[in-house]
Amino acid sequence: MENRKLPDESALTFYSRVSASISHELKNSLAVINESAGFLEDIMLMAQKGRPLDPKQIGTLAGTILRQVQRSNAIIKNMNRLAHSLDEKRASIELTELLGLMVRLAERSAVNKGVNLLTDFPESAILLTTCPFYLETLAWMLLDFAINNCGGDKTIRLSAALSGSGAQIGLTGFEKISMDAVDDFFSGRLAPLLTILNGDLTVDENDRRLAVMLPETVSQTSKT
Amino acid sequence: MRLLLVDDEIDFVATLAERLSLRNIEADWVTSAKDAEAIIQTKHYDLAVLDVKMPGMSGRQLKKIIEKKIPGIKTIYLTGHGSEEDYKAGIAEAEYYLMKPINIDDLIAKINDALAE
Repeated sequence: MENRKLPDESALTFYSRVSASISHELKNSLAVINESAGFLEDIMLMAQKGRPLDPKQIGTLAGTILRQVQRSNAIIKNMNRLAHSLDEKRASIELTELLGLMVRLAERSAVNKGVNLLTDFPESAILLTTCPFYLETLAWMLLDFAINNCGGDKTIRLSAALSGSGAQIGLTGFEKISMDAVDDFFSGRLAPLLTILNGDLTVDENDRRLAVMLPETVSQTSKT
Repeated sequence: MRLLLVDDEIDFVATLAERLSLRNIEADWVTSAKDAEAIIQTKHYDLAVLDVKMPGMSGRQLKKIIEKKIPGIKTIYLTGHGSEEDYKAGIAEAEYYLMKPINIDDLIAKINDALAE
């Protein structure tokens, strides 16, 4: 039972941190819309007092509001996709799509730390049958680790590739990396997730690279 | 009075400065802590309105730098984050702590209150 509980705690932490980040992003977007609408109101009040309206200024403000609506919509789409990844505990997924979503969700945290997140994905699809939400949790935790242990060039590269009968996720750009550092950072939270996903994590200290091997199909017994 | 607004959301901070200007409040704005550090070398401000979460350096760290250069400057924090940690820090460190989106009349009232203290 204990082993079943641990990944759920990690998943809940992941979900709550992503939710907090998303609400922050939406608040920022709403703040821009609020100021732009307020400025339009100011302009209208001045127009009522005789100041001529400037169509260019109104167009700029309308453009700003439209951009923020698109930004908010993209944020909500990400949230929606994440929420629906809990629909099925075990499902067929396209790995680069899932990792792309995690990169978008981790972006704010990376930007706040001055870190650039880059992806190196193949053009062809990598299809896996896995536990989508736990895989998202794992990917996000690894990105969080990478962002917090980034090297001097402040760039983290996330890659995905077919490997044997499964796939490999790779992360590079660390200042330095060791299995001990990984263990210390995650304090035992990683192993239960890897067990559920039938994953195998390796660290290459010389190349400063972390990799996770995933099977094409997660075993039924891994289903929680 | 002269204000410095610091927020990484350019559309937010530029529009806010313009709206304050329409209300006869002079406000310069920058979009990073680094730019804020540069502008305070040449200009004096009575109050700084700082975004708490910014890339590179937080509003809380920036406040300490600004206070060294301009002792006695008043500060208002703005945030969209709303974490418990930010809230506690906000009410302990700054004159006021406001959540985005803000009402400009509320902001002006807080600015006046802070400068009257």
